[in-house]
Amino acid sequence: MTVLELRGVHRVHGTGETAVNALDGVSLTVEPGELVAVMGPSGSGKSTLLNLAGGLDSPTSGQVLVDGTSLQSLSRRQLAAWRRKRIGYVFQDLNLIASLTAAENVALPLDLDGVRKSRRQAEEALSEVDLDGYADRFPDEMSGGQQQRVAIARALIGERRLVLADEPTGALDSRTGETVLRLLRSKVDAGAAAVLVTHDARHAAWADRVIFLRDGVVVDVSQRDQPEELLSTP
Amino acid sequence: MSVKHGLLALLERGPMYGYQLRAAFDSATGGTWPLNIGQVYTTLARLERDDLVAALPENEGQRPYEITAQGRTELTKWFASPVRRGDRPRDEVAIKLALAITTPGVDVAKVVMTQRTATMRTLQEYTRLKTQPGDLPWLLVLDAMIFQAEAELRWLDHCEASLVRYEPRPVAETTDVEVPR
Repeated sequence: MTVLELRGVHRVHGTGETAVNALDGVSLTVEPGELVAVMGPSGSGKSTLLNLAGGLDSPTSGQVLVDGTSLQSLSRRQLAAWRRKRIGYVFQDLNLIASLTAAENVALPLDLDGVRKSRRQAEEALSEVDLDGYADRFPDEMSGGQQQRVAIARALIGERRLVLADEPTGALDSRTGETVLRLLRSKVDAGAAAVLVTHDARHAAWADRVIFLRDGVVVDVSQRDQPEELLSTP
Repeated sequence: MSVKHGLLALLERGPMYGYQLRAAFDSATGGTWPLNIGQVYTTLARLERDDLVAALPENEGQRPYEITAQGRTELTKWFASPVRRGDRPRDEVAIKLALAITTPGVDVAKVVMTQRTATMRTLQEYTRLKTQPGDLPWLLVLDAMIFQAEAELRWLDHCEASLVRYEPRPVAETTDVEVPR
């Protein structure tokens, strides 16, 4: 089932002469097991797209569907619950709550929904991102790369299958950034769906599809072929 | 880099015959630079003529070659000297784009976009190959290709941004450019 679908989405900021078409008729689907990267210069609509996909903003026209449900059909309260259950976010920084341990950060979306045994699920999720033994550490006791792995564990806790990542490697050095992307890639290969906003082509290249936005319009899409077609490995 | 130095480097490991050299070359370059067996034999013939390698007695129909002292000196010299920019092939993309800008009726933005999509796709393929296990030499060759593709993408973004501000200069009616003699 399609995890995320944008149908002819427009988003206009402001009115009258100062109105800006942040997104101008964008359609996009993201399936399970698919990582889609969004590239484009500043002001091209990348962040607007991500905010709309996550229900943090609503389109002026068009529809955003997550797991088949139109986010516009939900009340504010329903939307908050839907987001919490279905959508995980990974940002460049300010990802984790400083006063909570790694396990508490990861378990937070479950705790808010009153899920029991959230601690055990959080520990399992941390183990899946190779952070066994880090459950009781606070964010400031971990490296930037480890914190980002905690954020990815939290993004995919419970029933969540959609990760929206905004420059998740922005604050990391190139090697650590690659580790985070490898992890995101493996999570997607295991069945999650992800949208990655980045200005870095080397990071976007981990995606199955790269979408180029220009002035709120998708101008180009680069889709991965089969590796065998390009060159053979020794 | 020349095939000549590549073969010398491989022969430094020990004597090999043509097919073995081709296989070793393939594995060293991750198959990114396919050689045909004809190229291997013509290069060996030239290396032998210049006393950089020597043919050994035939063994089961195959003639192995070994590196000579002179060949070893040549190889050491090669490793010690940098590859000069001028020794590399010209960048066809840059030349094509320069010509696109000066050729009437060409949609330059479209040329940039077509190239960017293709280079991005290549970068995606290379990146996917990184998820497969491989030895360090191959991974470093792969990284080199990844960084080159990334550089080209950054340059293409730069071209696109520059094109937005570009106003072509009026074409001169007569040619007053001095032709170098």
